[in-house]
Amino acid sequence: MSKVHDVLVIGAGCAGMRAAIAAFDQGADVALVSKIHPVRSHSGAAEGGINAALGNASEDDPEQHAFDTVKGSDWLGDQDAIEVLCTDAAADVYELEHWGAVFSRDESGRIAQRPFGAAGAPRTAYAADITGHVLIHVLYEQVMKRGIFTYEEYFAWRLVVEEGRCVGVICWDLLNGGVQAISSKTVILATGGAGRLYVGTTNAYSCTGDGMAMALQVGVALKDMEMMQFHPTTLSPTGVLITEGCRGEGAYLLNSESERFLKDYAPKAMELASRDVISRAEQTEIDQGRGIDGDVLLDLRHLGGDRIRERLHGTRELSMVFAGVDPIDDPIPVRPGAHYHMGGVDTDLWGLTSVEGLYAAGEAACVSAHGANRLGGNALMETITYGRRSGKAASDAARELPAAEVSEAARADAGVQIKALLDRSDGERPHGIRDELAQTMHENFGVFRQEEQMLEQGRIIERLRERYQRVVVDDKGSTFNNDLTQALELEFLIDLAACMIPAGVGRTESRGAHARPYDYPDRDDENFMRHTMVTKQDGELKLDWAPVRVTKWPPGERTY
Amino acid sequence: MRGKGAELQVKLRIQRFDPAVGDRRLVPYDVEVPEWATLLDVLDIVKDTVDGSLSFRKSCRMMICGSCGMRMDGRAILACRERMKPIVNAGHVPTISPMGNMPIIKDLVVDMGPFWQKIRQMKPWLDPGLAESPEKENLHSQAAMEPIQKEALCVMCGCCVSECNSMESDPEFLGPAALAKGFRLVGDPRDAKGIERLEGYSGEHGIWDCTRCYFCNERCPKGVDPRDAIAKLGAEAIGQGIDRDPGARHANWFVHSAKTTGWLRETELVPKTQGLVETIKQTKFALSLARRGKVPTPFPPHVAKDVNESRSLYDIVKKQGRSGAAGIVQGEKALRKLEH
Repeated sequence: MSKVHDVLVIGAGCAGMRAAIAAFDQGADVALVSKIHPVRSHSGAAEGGINAALGNASEDDPEQHAFDTVKGSDWLGDQDAIEVLCTDAAADVYELEHWGAVFSRDESGRIAQRPFGAAGAPRTAYAADITGHVLIHVLYEQVMKRGIFTYEEYFAWRLVVEEGRCVGVICWDLLNGGVQAISSKTVILATGGAGRLYVGTTNAYSCTGDGMAMALQVGVALKDMEMMQFHPTTLSPTGVLITEGCRGEGAYLLNSESERFLKDYAPKAMELASRDVISRAEQTEIDQGRGIDGDVLLDLRHLGGDRIRERLHGTRELSMVFAGVDPIDDPIPVRPGAHYHMGGVDTDLWGLTSVEGLYAAGEAACVSAHGANRLGGNALMETITYGRRSGKAASDAARELPAAEVSEAARADAGVQIKALLDRSDGERPHGIRDELAQTMHENFGVFRQEEQMLEQGRIIERLRERYQRVVVDDKGSTFNNDLTQALELEFLIDLAACMIPAGVGRTESRGAHARPYDYPDRDDENFMRHTMVTKQDGELKLDWAPVRVTKWPPGERTY
Repeated sequence: MRGKGAELQVKLRIQRFDPAVGDRRLVPYDVEVPEWATLLDVLDIVKDTVDGSLSFRKSCRMMICGSCGMRMDGRAILACRERMKPIVNAGHVPTISPMGNMPIIKDLVVDMGPFWQKIRQMKPWLDPGLAESPEKENLHSQAAMEPIQKEALCVMCGCCVSECNSMESDPEFLGPAALAKGFRLVGDPRDAKGIERLEGYSGEHGIWDCTRCYFCNERCPKGVDPRDAIAKLGAEAIGQGIDRDPGARHANWFVHSAKTTGWLRETELVPKTQGLVETIKQTKFALSLARRGKVPTPFPPHVAKDVNESRSLYDIVKKQGRSGAAGIVQGEKALRKLEH
C-alpha cells in the first residue's frame, strides 16, 4: 500500500487505538504505527480500573470527580482539561461496555465500581484486576472490525516537519530492516510514558518516551517533565505493579513494626490516600529504618482467600511468580517505583501541539489532566477520552489540509544517520549507559529531590550523552534488529532525562510528585501555579513557564 | 531491578537462526544473573553482554503483554514467567527455541501473521445486533458474565498454537487461541451472533478437528484452558442443533448409546457418524473385525445390566439444566500448578 494517510497514529495502546477508531469513524484514511503488536502495548498492564462518575456504587457526579482530580493534582492540573475528562468519562466507559469490555458487575448487573485512592466516591470501574488488558483487547477488536491498517513492528524515530507543518514520520522497519517514510496530513503521538528512565519501574521495556523525545526534537514544548509519579506498591525486587485495587479492597500497608504507618501521614484516608502521599510515607519509613530490606509490606490476608481469588487473581499470580509469596498466606513486599509521567507533550484540549498537524494523547501528552499527581484510575480514562478527542480533531483537520509528503531528502538523511550508527564498530555497547542512567535517576531524581542532587544528575546525564556519541550496535543485520532500536530508544531516554533537570531545579517548591523536603518543603501557590515548559532551541534546553488554567477551584489545603 | 540479592550462574543453549544465511544451530551460553532472574532476564543479559544480535520479543515482563512466548526444553512458555533458580539448582541446562507451528523469522522470533489471520477469521468483535446502543451499560449479572472470564484472560501469546497437534497436521485448523476467542464471544450474553458464529466454527478446520490432546490447556500460561473453550463451543453447537459435522454426530451417538443401552453401540457408530457411503466403504474392515469376535452383533442391541444408572445420570444432567457450555466442567490449571 502507498504510505500516505490522512491520520497516522504512532503508538497502539489504549490512547492510540481509541484515536484511530475515532479518526476512522470520521471517515479518515487512518493507520497505526507501532514498534510492538497493538495488544502488547503497556496499557494492557493497567490493573485497577478506569474512573467515571457512573454513580453505580454511591451517589457521584462529574463535578465531584473533577474536584478530586484537581485536589489530587495538587492544583497543578488544568481545570478545563479535567472538566472535559470528567464530563466525557461516563459516556466513554459506556461505549467500551457496548463494544464488549468484560467489566465486573455489581448486584444490579451494572458496572461495578470500587474505591480508589483520594476519590470521594467508589468511582473506579474495573474488570477484576486486569482492566487494562480487557480494554486493550476490546479496542483491538474494534480496530480489526474496521480493518484499520497497522504498521506492525515499525519503530518511529523522527517526525518530519516541513514548513512548520508535521507531514509524517520516519521509521525503522524491524522485521525487514530499512528506513521507511510514512506521509500523513496529521500525526498523533500516543507512545506512552518513559518509566524506563528509572531502574525501579512498573513500566514495560517499551516505555521509552519515544513520542515525547520526537516532539522535543521538532521544537514542541514538554510540559511538567519533573512530574514522575512513584507508585507506592511495586513488587520487590522487580518493580512489577501491584494494583491500587488491593488497597481499594481493603489491604493494609505495614512497616517492620507491623504498624499501619499511614496513621502518621494520612490519618483519615489511610491506605486510600493519594499515591504521592503514600510513596513519600513509605520512603520516609524505609529511610528511618522501619522498612524490611528496603521494602514495606502490603497485607491482604484479612481479605480472605475467596475475595483474593475472585477480585485479585492477577495480583496473586504476580506475587507468587515474581516474589514467591502467596498473598493469602503472607504479606507482599512492596516499595515505591516509577510508574507514570504526568508530564509530556504540551497539547490543547483537542490534543493539538504547537506544530500544525501534530497531536498527542495519553501518557505521552500533557493536557494536563493530572497536574503534579495522577489519581489511580484516571490514566486509562484519559487514554480513552483524549484519545477519542485527538482522533476526531486530527481527522477534522486533515479534511482541510492539502496532501502531505515526506521529502526523499528527509528519508535519505535519516538513512545516513542510522547507517553511521550501524557502521560504527569501535565503542561502548548501550547497556552500561542505560543502566547507569536508570540507577542515577533513581538516586538523584526519585521520590525526594534536592537541588544539589538534581544538578549532579544533570552533569551525569551530560557525561552519559558523551559516551552515547560512541555507542556501538552489535547486530549489523537487517532482520529484527532490536539491538539497533534499543540503542535509539536510549538516546530518547537521555534527551528526556535532560529535560527533567531544569524543570525540577526550577520548581523551587514541593507539589505533588515533586517533593523537596530538604530545601523547599512547602507548596508555593504565589509563584508556582505554573507549568514548566522545556523546549530545545538550537540544541540547548530552555525552561519557560505557562500558567495553570483555573476554572472553579482556587488552591486549597491538601490533606487526606 | 538489577543488583539486589545473590548471583546465579546460568548455563543454557539457545537455538539461533540467521535468515541471511539460513543457518540454524544450538549455541551454549554461560552467564551470571541475579538470583531472582527469570528466563527473560537471562536472555536480556546474554543480549547485553554476550551477543547483541540475539533476537527475541519482550515488553511488559509481567505476563500480560504476551510478547515472549518461546519454548524451553520443547515446551511453550512465557520467558518472563520462568524463574531460573530452581532450574539451576537442579543442575539442568535448558534448551531455548522458538515456538512451534509458526515460521521462524530470526532466533526466537516467529511470524505470528498466520496466528492473527485466524483470530480475524473469527470476526472477533461483539455484535449486539442492535440498531442503537442503550443509553447506559447493558445490564448483566456477574453470574451471566462468568462463563467467559477465563477466555477473557487470553494474552494472545501463541503458546497454545505452538503446541497444537491438530494444527501440526492441518495448518488451516482454526486452533486453540482463535477458538477460545470464539467462545469469548459466543458465551457473551451481549452478543447476538452466537448461532452464526457456531455455524461458522463448525465447518472443516473448526471445532471438531481438535484431537483433544489437551496440550493447549497444559501449556497455556494464563489458565485460559483453550480445550475447555473448544468443548464449550461444541456443546453449544449441539445444543443449537448444529450437528452436521461428523465430529458432532460422533459425540451425539456416544450420548445416545449410553442413554439407551449403557454401552457404546460401536457397530452403529460408523453409520451414525460418517453416513451410509462411508459405512459401505468400511464394510470389509467391519467384517474382518466381526470374524475375530471384535464387533458385537447390532441386533438386538446389547443392553447393560445396570442401564438404569446410566439413564438416571442422563436425567440428572438434564434436570440440572447443564446443557451447552454450562455442562463443561472447568479446571483451574494455572493456579493449581502454582499451588503445589
